[in-house]
Order: sequence, then structure tokens, then C-alpha cells
Amino acid sequence: MTRATLALVGHSLRRTRAIVIGMSVVLAGFQFLLTQVGVYLMRSQAFGLLASLVPEFVRSLAGPSMLAFMSFAGVVSLGYFHPIVLVALLALTISIATEPAAEVESRFVDLTLARPVARGQVILRTLIVLVVCGAIVLGTMTAGTWIGLACCTPTNAPRPQPAVVRALALNLAIIAWCWGGIALALAAAVRRRATAIGLTSLSALVAYLLDYLGRVWDPARLVSKLSPFHYFEPMSLIAGAGLSGRNVATLLAAGLVGAAASVIIFSRRDL
Amino acid sequence: MNPPPIRLEHLGKQYGRLTALEGVSFDVQPGEVFGFLGLNGAGKTTTIRILLDLVRPTTGRASVFGRDCQTHGRDVRAQLGYLPGEPGFYGDMTGTATLDLLGRLSPQRVDDAWRKSLLDRLELATSDLRRPIREYSTGMKRKLGIVQALQADSPLLVLDEPTEGLDPLMQEAFYELLAELRRRGRTVFMSSHVLPEVERVCDRIGLLAGGELVLLSTVKELRRLAGRTVRVTFAEDVAPPAAWPPACEAVRVAPRLWELRVYESLRPIVSLLATLPIVDVDVLVPPLEEVLRTYYAGKQ
Repeated sequence: MTRATLALVGHSLRRTRAIVIGMSVVLAGFQFLLTQVGVYLMRSQAFGLLASLVPEFVRSLAGPSMLAFMSFAGVVSLGYFHPIVLVALLALTISIATEPAAEVESRFVDLTLARPVARGQVILRTLIVLVVCGAIVLGTMTAGTWIGLACCTPTNAPRPQPAVVRALALNLAIIAWCWGGIALALAAAVRRRATAIGLTSLSALVAYLLDYLGRVWDPARLVSKLSPFHYFEPMSLIAGAGLSGRNVATLLAAGLVGAAASVIIFSRRDL
Repeated sequence: MNPPPIRLEHLGKQYGRLTALEGVSFDVQPGEVFGFLGLNGAGKTTTIRILLDLVRPTTGRASVFGRDCQTHGRDVRAQLGYLPGEPGFYGDMTGTATLDLLGRLSPQRVDDAWRKSLLDRLELATSDLRRPIREYSTGMKRKLGIVQALQADSPLLVLDEPTEGLDPLMQEAFYELLAELRRRGRTVFMSSHVLPEVERVCDRIGLLAGGELVLLSTVKELRRLAGRTVRVTFAEDVAPPAAWPPACEAVRVAPRLWELRVYESLRPIVSLLATLPIVDVDVLVPPLEEVLRTYYAGKQ
């Protein structure tokens, strides 16, 4: 990595540190809180009651994973796929990935690219920052879970397997990577960050709804395979299945295609 | 023979149906201060952005020290310092952090003594540099822009409207800095729409109108083309001479007021006036629009 790329990475990390630290603390706190919710439900023996409250059609829709979710391990794992966590992580990812558009908009890119810096370095910088920030947030979340389980959970609590928590965190990282690639490709093509954020957020919303539709309505199942969320299956991880190689490969490939497209688009366009 | 610092060959840029540049060709010679003139929208900034490979030409070629700006963009940019028309500084960064970051992106190490000398000349104090840029005035931002462009001491400087927003004292400091850069053998390519500034600091000019290069000349030639208006007020009635000095024409002649257009040196008219009872003399430099009008009138 060149000195210029390192300088750009350092600059971007300094700019994003407040939001990354803030989000890490909030999400780690959420993970910790979930371990304590799990302890409370376990002590009050509420898991059986919760399971009986779930309507039959929801149970059949979700399959055996729903039963796994109605457990201490399931509640502890909730923080790795809860929609709010997913939205927060995707918002951070999209915010970081759209930095090239922000720099074009503010004309900061005129100052950096007036130096012997290749346009690809600007994209590479963003990819590095995405990976580093993603690792920090997910690492802190996992630490939140681990602290909650280690310090404030009864020893007889049926803890989730560390491998399951790792797989859930990795699963979350991979879906974030996929959307990071998509956001980066859009950010490389437009002149305004708001446009890139808006387009990516709208795509994510449509993809989420499409995936949901595919799960509840058979005719939409085929088209729902176009949604990255189709390949995000945390419930099966809780149920004990490992990470699906096909899902991982699909999401990683989608992120890579986005990253490659962003290099090509950003290198060819007028700034 | 060494290739020129800048060479443009039939450069053209089309944005959809809009022609921003068409067939622009000229060289900038080593060590010269070249003024790139034109009204807003004439294509000055587009040309500069092509030199920096921020914009790709539709036709033609631009090269810096013999290297193509598009195919060897990084090599080209390693040789130049650039001041954008509107530098996109981050408001929450301090001046020092900005200069340090941009310095780290340069291939050569920034000489601290040279940077300090630039800051001193432009009166940017250390305390100012510690403040976030959002607290800077327009003039301070422009000064910071000048320092970031010059701090790497590159052989070629590309400056887009460098004195825009500077107060007269700072403009003077900048002109002195330009003179020193010329003495150090640097080549300066600066865009401007202020004629007196160009007359004062440039060796040659290129005049752009509607995306085309309409004039490439020395400053002396520009002065001749533009002319200056000399307005003389007398203490008593004065009769006009039988013949006006060369390159001088009367625009308005009254017993106590002459308005003359002088296209070359002022020396003959000053000699004529020396014997007359003058109360006041005004010398007015025409705006760029008038030069363009004069130029087009001459062409037709």
C-alpha cells in the first residue's frame, strides 16, 4: 500500500471515528442488554410461554428456526439480525461507502487528485475503511455479547456456541460488505452523496421487501433470489446449520462486483 | 529540446450538446507566467481540469513536460501544484491538518522552511492554522489554497483565479510571490478575468471565448488591443492639438476635458500633457468584456 493510500485511509478513519465509536458502543450495549433479557426470560421461565403465543402460521412459516429462537441462545443471538441492528449497520456502511461521492460534491477530490494519486486509490481507501470500520463494530458487538455471557449470566444458562455467534457476526459482516459494494458503485457514478445514499437505501428497502415477499408468497420466490437478503439466513445459523457456502459466495461476489464496478466507473468518469 | 511545461493540441470537450472547448492549441514556455483569460463559462476551468485529468477531453491532447495528461496522469500531477477556483476544504479540519494531509499526498517531502515562508508572506499565523477552516474568511481560505498549491515547490503551478477574494495588500504579496517563483524558474499557468492583474504579472496571455482560443499574445499586444482610456481635466480652456500622438485617438474633446483612447505606451501623451495646465488625469483599464468586443470588432 502506498504512502498516499495510507494517508487517505488515516484521513477517512479520523473523519468517521465518532460515528464508528458511537455505533460500536450502542450496538455492543444492545448485545449486552440482550444477554440480560435472556437471563430474565430464563429465570421467569417465559420461553415456553413465548413459544405458545406465536401463531401457528408464523411457526410454520419460520420453520424449526422459530423454536430455536424461543430460547436463551436465540434471544442472545437476536442482536445479529434484528432489523434495527441491520438498519444501523447498513446505514454506517452506506455512509462510509458513499465518501467518494461526498468528496466529488465538496470538491475535496480536486485537491487529492491534483496530487499523484490514482482514482483507484480513492476507491481502495474507501474499501479499506469499510472493512476496518465493519471489523471494529462487529468486534465490539461480539465483545458485548461475550462480556454479558461471561460476567452476568448464570452458569447453567444454555449459552450459544461461540461458533454460532462468530457465524452470525460473519453473516452480518458479509451482508454489510455486499451493500457496501453496491453503495460504492453508486457513489462512484454520481455527484452528490445524498443521491448515492438515497439510491442505495431505496434499493436496500426494495430488496428487503422482495425477500420478505418471496418468503411468504410462493410466486415471488424466484424473483426474490435477486435480493441480497435472500442469502442472509441467520435463523438457520441459530438452528445449528453452518454458514452456507453458496450464500457467502453470492454475497461476497455481489460486493466484489460492486467494488470492481466502482473502480471502473470512477476511473472513467469526469469529475 | 525539452518538451514545454504545457502543450495543448486541438483540445476539445463536449458535454452532451454543449461545446465547452474546441480546437484549443498552444504551448506554455518554461519559466513564463501565462495568463489564461476568459469570461465565466469560456472554458478556462475545463482546460485546467483536463490538465489535471479530472476531466477527459473529447478531442485532442494535453501534455505536461511531454507526458500525456490522461495516459500518464500521475506522472503529470507529480510535477504540478494546483489551486482550484473553489478549494473543497473540509470545514471541520484545521488549516495545519489540511496542509499536512495534502503534503503527505505529494511525492516530494514538503520543506518546512518553504512552507513557513509562504505562510509568513501570506500572513497566515500559526494560531489561524489551528482553527477549523469553517471559521476562516474567504480570503483566508484562498491563502490556505495558495499555500497548499505551492508548498511542494513543484516546477509547474496551475492556479485558477488565484487572487479571487484576496484583499489588495494580499494581492500585492501574492504578486511578489509570483515574481519570486519566476526567479526560481517555476512555470505558472494562471486563469483570471482581471485584466490589470494579468497585465502586471503575466508574460503572455491566451484569451478564451466560447470555448475557443481567440487570442494568443504577449501582454504588450493585449495592451495595444485593449487600449486605455485617459481622461484629462484642465484648469483652463485648452485647444486640442492639430494631430494626436500615434496610437492615440480622441473619444471626447471639450475645452477643459479630454477623453482619449491610448493603444500603446502612454509616453507620447504624457509628453503632450506636460506643457498643459492639468488639474487631474485618470487612466482607466477596460474590463475584459470590452477587450473581447474590441477584438471581435477588429476581426470583423
